[in-house]
Amino acid sequence: MEMNNNSTPLIKKDSKRKIRVDYEGKMSLVERLKEKFKASNTWIKFVVVLFRFILMLGVSFVIVYPFIARIAGSFMTREDVIDATISLIPKHPTLEIYKAIIVENHYFEAVFNTLILSLGCAVIQMLIACLVGYGLAKFKFKGNKLVMLLVIATMIIPHGALQLSLLRHFTNFDLATVQAWGYPGIIQLLRGGVKLNLSNTFAPLFILSLFGLAFKNGLYIYLLRQFFKGVPDELEESAYVDGSGTLRTFFQIILPLSIPMLITVFLFAFSWQWTDEFYTGLFFTSTINKVYLMPDVFQVPASLNVTYAGEVLYKNVVQNTGGLLIIAPLIILYLFGQKYLVQGIERSGLVG
Amino acid sequence: MDKALKIKRRRHASLDKRRARAGYFFVAPFVLGIILIYLPILIDSIWLSFYEELPIIVDGLPTTKLEFRGLQYYKFAFTESPDFVTKLLAGLQQLVFEVPAVIIFSLFIAVVLNQKMLGRAAFRAIFFVPVIISTGLMESINGADIMSGSMGEGIQDGTNGEASGGIVDVLMIENLFKSMAIGGEMVTYVVSLVNDIYNIINYSGVQMLIFLAGLQSISDSIYEACRIDGATGWETFWKVTFPMISPMILVNAVYTVIDSFTRSSNVTMSYISGSANGDSHKAAMYWIYFGVVMLIIAVVAGIASTFVFYQRKD
Repeated sequence: MEMNNNSTPLIKKDSKRKIRVDYEGKMSLVERLKEKFKASNTWIKFVVVLFRFILMLGVSFVIVYPFIARIAGSFMTREDVIDATISLIPKHPTLEIYKAIIVENHYFEAVFNTLILSLGCAVIQMLIACLVGYGLAKFKFKGNKLVMLLVIATMIIPHGALQLSLLRHFTNFDLATVQAWGYPGIIQLLRGGVKLNLSNTFAPLFILSLFGLAFKNGLYIYLLRQFFKGVPDELEESAYVDGSGTLRTFFQIILPLSIPMLITVFLFAFSWQWTDEFYTGLFFTSTINKVYLMPDVFQVPASLNVTYAGEVLYKNVVQNTGGLLIIAPLIILYLFGQKYLVQGIERSGLVG
Repeated sequence: MDKALKIKRRRHASLDKRRARAGYFFVAPFVLGIILIYLPILIDSIWLSFYEELPIIVDGLPTTKLEFRGLQYYKFAFTESPDFVTKLLAGLQQLVFEVPAVIIFSLFIAVVLNQKMLGRAAFRAIFFVPVIISTGLMESINGADIMSGSMGEGIQDGTNGEASGGIVDVLMIENLFKSMAIGGEMVTYVVSLVNDIYNIINYSGVQMLIFLAGLQSISDSIYEACRIDGATGWETFWKVTFPMISPMILVNAVYTVIDSFTRSSNVTMSYISGSANGDSHKAAMYWIYFGVVMLIIAVVAGIASTFVFYQRKD
């Protein structure tokens, strides 16, 4: 491609026509091309392009190869896994790993539950981050900077530090009560002293999402704030002049134009909630009436948990197959959404 | 008449106030969340690091009671805890290793992905796959994974002799560099980087996106001017591209530090969450850790912001 572009501008002498006539008369096509290569930097460019392409290909390979290896491994039998002559293509292809995971780990149930959870969380988080980001970007009010600092603080404080307290808070859910101080809150009083236990339900995650406190919500708020800062004020001003209120302006003018960015945030929120194990591991601990979620797919099914020489390796293969099953829906989603990912960020006006 | 005028005037005067009120309305969910949920949880966690939870029996029912222990747990973490300090330092070391690598790598890839090239759309799609799937569960799979976790091992490590041996043979490279008489630390750093390429790619997805956004926002007319003035690509990069996206470097540096520190596979994080001591011990360690993180972020932001160039906006 590059070569075609560069083969044109060689003859740039004062009197164009004369030289061209001489040139064509004297040299054959091959010689002329040779001259061109000598005179221009086509070779260097070609080498650079080739090098760049190979480099990109190499890095892509590093990203894609584990998936190829996992897919290959997922079809192997126990014997294939430890067979030294097999690297990628199994000798006895089988679906037993898939079958075991889908049946014993309740794969479809897990997909269904996680889908509801992730979809709910992602939609709520997207909308809340959008509201908060817009408020921080476009309105001057006392404490604007403080709120922004708090947003960043929620990003920085490691959630591991809050793990225990999160659990304590949601097994005895109340508003504005510090568990350690021990006094009952409003909800507990209203319920006549009975504690409201929200663990093993979707409620804790939905509540956290509703207040913009769930996993990485600080990042979403920050991204959307930067995006809205890039939207020219004149747009809203003209809407105000036309008699539109703040809310109406937001919903009818600002929201439609931020759809690529919203899709980006939705993609982040959905897929990070999908593969989350911190919150799901924290809040879903019950074994009775178990809510199957993605972390359960990751377990080694009992029927495949057999002692033999290649046990460790085989368990690894099984877990990798579980991983493949976990991300399969995400990959499908990504294929549809990936062009918005770059587009959304590109328009975010992140500079400055 | 008089009344009507008054009302009108008041309305007019409060435009700013109304805007401010609208602002409060928009950020209300987050602020309420902070007050009603986040702060109580935060205070509870800090509180726990000063108290010991003792099981007691009240009216025949087992509950717990808190007893004040002061700074005992903090002292314990520093003096008696087997290797909290070592792990903390290891975490810092990991950070020092990782942040420059991630920033340089993601900047480089973003610059390349920003150029017109064959198969750019496909490369972009592939490069952003890790953004979507390299957190949480998949991270722990990657971590525990012999088969593909570290590309250096190749498929089926150990059992399959022919396929093992990484991308780079460490010894070979080291010999090569030693014969070129380049410093030893530098060599080990570069070699470990190359062998850690899989993780670095996985960690730099968001940073790549942010850099790409920054690169896209540099106007073409600047580059055109450079071409007309006869600047080479190398000069253009250092004199134009680099200063223009230096704010992104700051953002990414801070983001990488946060990401690296709060990731559950981080040496210190996994040590603390896996430590067998009581919850109060863990809480104390987490808060010490948080203090260190804040300090590092301040330092990184301080260093990065000294060379950030802000384009003047009119």
